[in-house]
Amino acid sequence: MNKKTIATLVGSLLGAAVLAAPAHAQNVKIGLLAGISGPIAAMAPGMLDASRLAIAQVNEQGGILNNGKLEFTIGDSACNPQNATDAATKAVNIDRVVAIVGPSCSGAVLAAANSVTIPAGVLMVTPSGTSPEITKLNDKDLVFRTLPSDDYQGRALARSLLERGTKTVAVAYLNNDYGKGLAESFKAEFEAKGGKLAGYSGHEGGKASYRSDLAQLARGGADTLVIFDYGDGTGLTILRQALENGFFKQYVGADGMKIDSIIRSLGEKNLANFFTSAPVGEATQALELFNKAFAAAGHDPNAVFATSAYDAAFLVALAIEKAGGDKAKLSEALRAVASGPGEPILPGEWAKAKKLIAEGKDIDYKGAGGDHEFDQAGDVPGTYALFKVANGTYEAIADMK
Amino acid sequence: MDIVGLANYAVFMAILVGIYALLALGLNIQWGFSGLFNAGIAGFFAIGAYTSAILTSLPASGRVGGFELPMVLGLLAAMAVAALIAWPIGKICLRFRSDYLAIATIGVAEIIRLVVRTEDWLTGGVRGITGIPRPFGDLPYMESQMAYLAIVAVLLLAAYLLVERQLKAPWGRMMRAIRDNENAAAAMGKRVADRRLQAFVFGSALMGLAGALFVHFNRSVTPEAIDPMIATFLIWIMLILGGSGNNRGAILGAAVIWVIWSVSELLTDRLPTEIAIQAKYVRVFIIGLTLQLVLRFRPEGILPERQHGGGTAPPRA
Amino acid sequence: MTLLDFLNFYLVPGIVLGAIYAVGAIGITLVFGILRFAHFAHGDMATLGAFIALALAASGMDPWVALPLAMAITAVIAIGVDRSFYDYLSRRPKILTVMASLGVALMLRAVVQVVWGVDPTTYVTGIVRPEEYFGILLRPRELNTLLTVVLIVVGLELFLRKSKWGKAMRAMSDNPDLARLSGVDNRKVTMLTWAIVGALCTASGFMLGINTELHSMMGWQLLLPMFAAAILGGVGRVQGAVLGGLIVGITEELSVFVVPAQYKAATAFALLLIILLVRPRGLLNGKVL
Repeated sequence: MNKKTIATLVGSLLGAAVLAAPAHAQNVKIGLLAGISGPIAAMAPGMLDASRLAIAQVNEQGGILNNGKLEFTIGDSACNPQNATDAATKAVNIDRVVAIVGPSCSGAVLAAANSVTIPAGVLMVTPSGTSPEITKLNDKDLVFRTLPSDDYQGRALARSLLERGTKTVAVAYLNNDYGKGLAESFKAEFEAKGGKLAGYSGHEGGKASYRSDLAQLARGGADTLVIFDYGDGTGLTILRQALENGFFKQYVGADGMKIDSIIRSLGEKNLANFFTSAPVGEATQALELFNKAFAAAGHDPNAVFATSAYDAAFLVALAIEKAGGDKAKLSEALRAVASGPGEPILPGEWAKAKKLIAEGKDIDYKGAGGDHEFDQAGDVPGTYALFKVANGTYEAIADMK
Repeated sequence: MDIVGLANYAVFMAILVGIYALLALGLNIQWGFSGLFNAGIAGFFAIGAYTSAILTSLPASGRVGGFELPMVLGLLAAMAVAALIAWPIGKICLRFRSDYLAIATIGVAEIIRLVVRTEDWLTGGVRGITGIPRPFGDLPYMESQMAYLAIVAVLLLAAYLLVERQLKAPWGRMMRAIRDNENAAAAMGKRVADRRLQAFVFGSALMGLAGALFVHFNRSVTPEAIDPMIATFLIWIMLILGGSGNNRGAILGAAVIWVIWSVSELLTDRLPTEIAIQAKYVRVFIIGLTLQLVLRFRPEGILPERQHGGGTAPPRA
Repeated sequence: MTLLDFLNFYLVPGIVLGAIYAVGAIGITLVFGILRFAHFAHGDMATLGAFIALALAASGMDPWVALPLAMAITAVIAIGVDRSFYDYLSRRPKILTVMASLGVALMLRAVVQVVWGVDPTTYVTGIVRPEEYFGILLRPRELNTLLTVVLIVVGLELFLRKSKWGKAMRAMSDNPDLARLSGVDNRKVTMLTWAIVGALCTASGFMLGINTELHSMMGWQLLLPMFAAAILGGVGRVQGAVLGGLIVGITEELSVFVVPAQYKAATAFALLLIILLVRPRGLLNGKVL
């Protein structure tokens, strides 16, 4: 009895929705899932705006397939598996998307992939799920990510710091898949290469004070604090409290800390000794192209995971074009457009890519956040650069190997 | 959109509703029939989820298990361990009254949540546990969904019948007597503390079962699933709006609230795409407002508690 | 580690944090004591108040000047929320009002997110290095925070003890039926309570914001420790809430000596459980509702 009532209720609501939507046969729809509500709410808009920039560029430069428009639906995965599976189910079954960009938070990715997109045969490209568990998914080649696994970045950062002569550091990491993943790989590489960790501690997000945590870390005697956290969350609080109390002399963050909020809140003059790493493509102009276009659209290019969200959406669009809209061929097409050999395609070069695909030529997307040569598991290796704060933004000062 | 997609969506919703209904049933035993303010549902959900995950998942390095046991054992163990852990917690906490009990159980749930996040060797920490089997998971999408729904539905029905039987039995009458007038019940020689503990343990076992069903559905579990909003407060809303003290009300409440939660997104998707992100905040506002409307027009719950013989008052806070 | 280090980096931060918790806990305990329910929208109301102060400060006002104004505005909003969503449930079981407050929490948060967005922001840009007072390092904003809390607590105590309306509030807290019989207008007392609670919410949200950052989840994230503080001190006890707030704040900051930092949030709850075992109705013997 109850189920029938629900079905009728849902049916009538959806019926109204169908009538409202105009029918365009050749249009293609993708789903953008992000943790819009919930604990990482601050991160979602930047990622979604970046994905939408890619979609807008596709539609401005000739559209997708045969004069079709690339449409999107946005779903709120709220950073938990309950809402993520719900949003993915709606995107797959109600909006009939051919691919999904997202969701955020590894737990949400695992659940949505396992119980919705893999069984339904829908391609998923996540721009922010960093957990190694995603690599282990039995995914029928349907789950990819455009953010390199933390392992690469943590190790690259460790080597860079040692090269720059920083031999002793303390590490504060956010206790989630992102922060912990980075911290563990950093620790392994840093110690293996002769560096010394004078403090190493995790913290939970959302607290108002981390001063005692920082004081404990500072007692180890390190001059450098490495923060693996988000700059629009507790990372900002930690950096502020560390700077204000002068616990350390130098501060280093990963890509999660490369964000405008930090400059805006703490002031550029206080950030002379603050460095962050972030993934960049082989072709450095790729990142510049993205930054310019994103800033022109009125957004902050330094938003966390903006480059990977942009690349994910752009790659999905390329794959759809390459596969001729055939859902079953999407992952194969994704691998083809993302990997060499082929004519290089930079961010925003949709018209060029479309022409080459139509001519049957191979293309190789060189993204804003990496070259995205997917491996067997759908992961990408990362290349990174070290950034410092200058002129109100982040400027690359060195490549990281 | 087509009928198949719609059906898939409906089946998915029904699965989650079934899992939430089990949680609401468990809470109904504790609050609806016994007046115990358990605000730590997420903790027992987590215990069930991780117990079954550890027992049934593939072996993994760096943590206990997995033991690759069959799912049936996982479910049974989830209930047993949830009950086993609920017992000492109840023993200690049930002496606190109303709001003190609520905050004590919130505290226990938060401690459990932090243990789950931090103790890698046991739970995989923030990375969680993957490689958990899902029965009929190899069937095509729709069939697999239907099969899982069948499992959830059968277990929910069994739980419902069991709880109903218990409540019609002298045990249920006694529980209501204790809830409505503890002193009178004690004066009649009822062992109030023991009965309460039974209700607490029984309800927690059902919550553990729900947790296990959730992880087998997703083949994975991470600490993000045990957020207090989505795994504690939401269930309270379901029970109170559905009809505290009425098992069918609890199940219906789970259905209505989850449908509101889920379908509201389809409605706000109709807003112009320029404000697509803001539309999601509007959605949360609409969810909040809908709760208020239900409270205004059905404050006694959608299905109020049935009067058992002598006329019982609704539970007092 | 020297004694001064201990004071500066562990105890003083704990006291500042505790003071912020305390102001939030006073509001929670007032709602508990007088209106008799757990107000889950408290954190999000604090967020809203903090952002209203931000809007005022953005017009060029000094944040500390904007605070009383924002407190007044939020007081009116709190009364409005009560009138729209809580008042008509007042004769029903209190659990319904608790549910309504969960709904209000979602609504208030959505309003903040639509109006102010989700990016973290601050009242003042830049960092503030502390000044030294006999070896103790304090920033002006921390001094102001502590002073404000003392002012609020003393003012509230005086109001509750000396003024006619304060006495009416206490009477209603002790026994609403008796209070009504002796001529206390419950409706007006309820309004007054909400005005005070709204103002207190703003104060706690503001002080949290000025000591760290403002963002749309800030209040919700502090809800549980604030509840712990209110219950720890004893339901309905203002001094209990202050005591509870300080204990929770200091415990959290000192916990890093004993357990890994990830368990910081758990220590407050562990302490709460232990104290409740010894004193089942909180430190100051709160009421059972």
